[in-house]
Amino acid sequence: MDERLLLVEDDASIREIVAIGLKAAGFRVATAVDGREGLARFRADGFDAVILDVMLPSLDGYEVCREIRKFSRVPIVMLTARTDLIDVVVGLESGADDYVKKPFELPELVARLRAVLRRAAAPAGAEPIVAGQLEIDPAGFAVRKDGIELALTATEFRLLLELARRPGQVFTRELLLQRVWDYEYLGDTHLVDVAIGRLRAKVEDDPSHPAVIKTIRGVGYRLDRA
Amino acid sequence: MARQPIRPGGRRGRIWPGSLRRRLVVAFVLVATVSAGALAVASYLLVREARLDGSLTASAAEAREDLNLAATITYQAAGDFVRAYEQRGTHAVLIFPGGRKVTSDDQVNPPIPAVLQGFVRRGQLGYQRMDVAGLPYLVMAGKVPGSNAQLYLFFPEQSIQRNLAQLRNTLAAAWLGVLLVAALVGRVLARRTLGPVARASEAARQIAAGRLDTRLPAGAADEFGAWAAAFNEMADALEAKIAALSAAQARELRFTANVAHELRTPLTALVAEASLLSGQVSHLPDPARRPVELVIADVRRLRTLVDELMEISRLDAGSEPVLQRLVDVQAVVAALISARGWQDRVTVDGGPLTLTTDPRRVERILANLVGNAVEHSGRDVVVRTGSDGANGCIDVADAGPGIPPEHLPHVFERFYKADSARAGAGSGLGLAIALENARLLGGTISVSSDVERGSVFRLTLPLGPGGDVSER
Repeated sequence: MDERLLLVEDDASIREIVAIGLKAAGFRVATAVDGREGLARFRADGFDAVILDVMLPSLDGYEVCREIRKFSRVPIVMLTARTDLIDVVVGLESGADDYVKKPFELPELVARLRAVLRRAAAPAGAEPIVAGQLEIDPAGFAVRKDGIELALTATEFRLLLELARRPGQVFTRELLLQRVWDYEYLGDTHLVDVAIGRLRAKVEDDPSHPAVIKTIRGVGYRLDRA
Repeated sequence: MARQPIRPGGRRGRIWPGSLRRRLVVAFVLVATVSAGALAVASYLLVREARLDGSLTASAAEAREDLNLAATITYQAAGDFVRAYEQRGTHAVLIFPGGRKVTSDDQVNPPIPAVLQGFVRRGQLGYQRMDVAGLPYLVMAGKVPGSNAQLYLFFPEQSIQRNLAQLRNTLAAAWLGVLLVAALVGRVLARRTLGPVARASEAARQIAAGRLDTRLPAGAADEFGAWAAAFNEMADALEAKIAALSAAQARELRFTANVAHELRTPLTALVAEASLLSGQVSHLPDPARRPVELVIADVRRLRTLVDELMEISRLDAGSEPVLQRLVDVQAVVAALISARGWQDRVTVDGGPLTLTTDPRRVERILANLVGNAVEHSGRDVVVRTGSDGANGCIDVADAGPGIPPEHLPHVFERFYKADSARAGAGSGLGLAIALENARLLGGTISVSSDVERGSVFRLTLPLGPGGDVSER
């Protein structure tokens, strides 16, 4: 364990108790009180995962997330007080891997963090998979399209890998939530839809007419080999 | 429980459209034709009178002259004298004393009216109108001065009668024309006059249909203008009132949402703190342990309340997204039972049921219903799935104390608690949230209860495309 986390949260009470809880769970925790400080600390030190409040002074959580994504695929979990779907979707579209709704029980946050960290760890001993123009290398955590490496986040990579291991099979959103995000039961399937959207933007020639990752209406998604 | 839908007003009291218009047209035509008819008859009578009088005066003057002329005529010359009249179309008869009669036209031989003969014998100039051989004549008669002979002159009046007949026809035609014009003008006038009424009815219907910005064209200087202004004032007032009411309602909804939202930040800290404390309870000194346990429980209660407030204010805002997925209802029920550890309290019954709907909302509804049943009954809760063809039905039956009839209509109201002594149990929003979610999915929830045997909540949801009762 001993992963280093950056917690960016403006409310002092929440920041303090969450830091205590995460330390008790075995993480090393650094904190920042606003978006600018958070971004500066991340640039300076680098971390294994970032916990990002959405409503932050100076630079909001989405902005921080987008900035980090420009140079890092570090796992990011958003803390959102807003439960309107649009806020969740905006958070995921800005590149977050998962989110936790306020208020949350500490074990819930810890479980989400462990899940994203597990995803970021390289899958053990898997052969490279070739699907059409895509070449997926689980060991090297890399995806190449026509030989050019694509910058996928850990979640996007896991999602693609999951689909590519059984090309042609339809995966329900619920199954993908279980396999990729480690949700035990009905989670928010928007996680899947948004991640599929981001993944398509990177792997498809024309993301609005996907040829690689197909949507099966009312059921889920499928990866087509050719 | 369920609100009565507001039904649009019945059609009973509706006036047959246009009947007023028809009555107006009929009245207009009646007035126009009766007055035109009276005018025509009166003028005909006046003209007739004048023409006949004129004819009489002229004929009398001529007769007087002819009588003077006749004074010089002997019986022998009388034939020529009277025959000369025939050239003017006038018949003449001279009766000499002793009854010798000379007639201008022996074939016609006009009869001499007895009354007129009496007049003449008394030495008076008399006249009478009569038909001779089917033609109208004015008969002038008098005693020839200086003798006992009598002269009867039959002046023809065919031309006068012809003129009068012509006049009659012309007047009748004009009257008919007036009738037609009156009918046309009446129709146009009635439509113009009643147009505002029709527009006002339409406007009122629009307002009733919810288009509150409907107004009548104002500005006319007549009574309808005043009426339209009054109608518009009413509509303004109504619109303002409803706008104020909706603004107040929106404020209230926003306030609830804001309160719930503002509570979130301190609540998040509290929940995290309680979450940490709960791992430490056993290490606490005795006097602190129970209070800490209570704090943890109360934080959980507060969290539920705030969560549910947030949820219901989102539902009220009407911006909730709805997914469409194939949902195996029995699998959802089984999962929620095992997730909450209710295996020994809840049993699942009935056949497989697959719906096309939002799985998370179905889970939410069923969790609330089953949770409610477990809370009231403790055990022996049965979830039974079934279908009526178009809808899936999920019954959640408990063996609890049941709900007294006076409480039954209110169980879905927010913060309504049938048993105020047991106020600690739920937030009071669970059933309201379940019902709002069911409505969002196009379904509903009904409840029946027996105070001895327990309650049954029935969730009815449309099967949706691809929904099925037999197999997945």
